[in-house]
Amino acid sequence: MDFDYLSGITEFILKGTGVTLKIYAVTLVFSIPLGIICAFGKISRFAPLRILLGAYTWVFRGTPLLLQLFFFYYGLSALTHGAIQLEALFAAYTAFVINYAAYFTEIFRAGIQSINKGQYEAAKALGMGSWQTMKRIILPQAVKLVLPPMGNEAINLIKDTALCSIITVTEIMRNAQVTVSRDVRVEGLLIAAIIYLCFTFVIIQVFRLLEKRFAHYKN
Amino acid sequence: MGSEIINVENLHKSFGKLHVLKGINLTVERGEIISVIGPSGSGKSTLLRCLNHLETADKGSISFEGEYIASVDSEGNSVYKKNREVLAICSRLGMVFQNFNLFPHKTVLGNLIEAPITVKNEDKQAVEKKALVLLEKVGLSEKKDAYPGQLSGGQQQRVAIARALAMSPEIMLFDEPTSALDPELIGEVLQVIKQLAEEDMTMIIVTHEMTFAREISDRIIFMDNGTVLADSPPENIFVKPEHPRIRQFLSKMLQSDD
Ligand SMILES: Nc1ncnc2c1ncn2[C@@H]1O[C@H](COP(=O)(O)OP(=O)(O)OP(=O)(O)O)[C@@H](O)[C@H]1O
Ligand SMILES: [Mg+2]
Repeated sequence: MDFDYLSGITEFILKGTGVTLKIYAVTLVFSIPLGIICAFGKISRFAPLRILLGAYTWVFRGTPLLLQLFFFYYGLSALTHGAIQLEALFAAYTAFVINYAAYFTEIFRAGIQSINKGQYEAAKALGMGSWQTMKRIILPQAVKLVLPPMGNEAINLIKDTALCSIITVTEIMRNAQVTVSRDVRVEGLLIAAIIYLCFTFVIIQVFRLLEKRFAHYKN
Repeated sequence: MGSEIINVENLHKSFGKLHVLKGINLTVERGEIISVIGPSGSGKSTLLRCLNHLETADKGSISFEGEYIASVDSEGNSVYKKNREVLAICSRLGMVFQNFNLFPHKTVLGNLIEAPITVKNEDKQAVEKKALVLLEKVGLSEKKDAYPGQLSGGQQQRVAIARALAMSPEIMLFDEPTSALDPELIGEVLQVIKQLAEEDMTMIIVTHEMTFAREISDRIIFMDNGTVLADSPPENIFVKPEHPRIRQFLSKMLQSDD
């Protein structure tokens, strides 16, 4: 084993973690609230809004994230004849937030809708208004239900950030690829794999703790 | 006694093309205990649910202590008060469901204090004190910190009754409170309802427990196919039922009632 080489490329690849984590954090911070808002829209009584949001989640869950990345990086610029040219990292943020919000919309919608009708009726019979019922009865129970699918998305997201390497964002995967093509050696891929595994390990632990916090009752 | 608490006139309700309630008239006096019996699908639950606006009536009026929740327009169609006012009136009716519908994410005590605090803005400490008294009454003091999922069906239903009582309702509505229970757990729930009867709580009870209904009720309402076939004291129904439909129903029920 060539330790000098390994420590050299490790240092180089690790320089990408900052960008990876930025994409990760920005995506979660914006897509979760956006998903909550869209979920409420999707269960609203206003049909045009439901249809619009249905189209949104269909398009963004129904096409490859990579294609969406290309669209925001190359496509927008081509369509507007260069009037809009997003910077690579910003194109990545945009595509990821919109894409992940579509998934979260469906997760939250399903979570809210899987709460038994009897819960709404019990709350109403006690005189609770619809906002009070949502806030105090439905949402707290929905949080428990959405945690496992949220955990899956949280893991998918860290891996999906690697797609950004293709639009020149210098994150972990990009840097690993650079070492591979520059040195014609594959150790860089192994290093990247280990870094991703460390991140997913942490994410799994976080969700395990969160789920434990809700384990004291059965829905 | 003697003061009218609920008055329903010519109540109609349809689900799509299915005409479920076909002109129900009903008056309930304070302190009265009324059991509603009748075949499955006759509209018993729907009637009860119209009283506290879990279902919206199509035609007819519903009033609570002289105040109209729904009045009628010139064509007899129900016209409801504003949502907020309806909700406020309906919070004075307690409801107990067949499937308990306790809040699973809250403790027993949490279930009891939720509505008095969020709806009536009562002081938390006072509400808790009252809740503990109610739990004592239904025999579940030691379960106050348990979650509903940790209780038996009979215990859950007793908590549900206490939760409704915590709002100090003026009338209690029960929709088959023992139908989801194992036979050996029915008694403890009926016992609690009997205790309420002794305290002169006004109650409307939809039930298939004929012996219990006969014992506890001032009046029995027999529903069939969306109409009230009989509204009379228990003896008239159970001893000498005039209507062949009632006789037929009772013989079937009492057979299965061993
Ligand atoms: N939300 C609903 N949508 C459509 N149909 C309904 C709805 N609720 C009740 N029904 C129908 O209305 C009729 C009366 O139902 P209801 O629940 O009032 O009967 P019930 O007398 O309480 O019967 P059971 O003894 O089985 O509880 C039934 O045919 C039922 O299928
Ligand atoms: Mg019923």
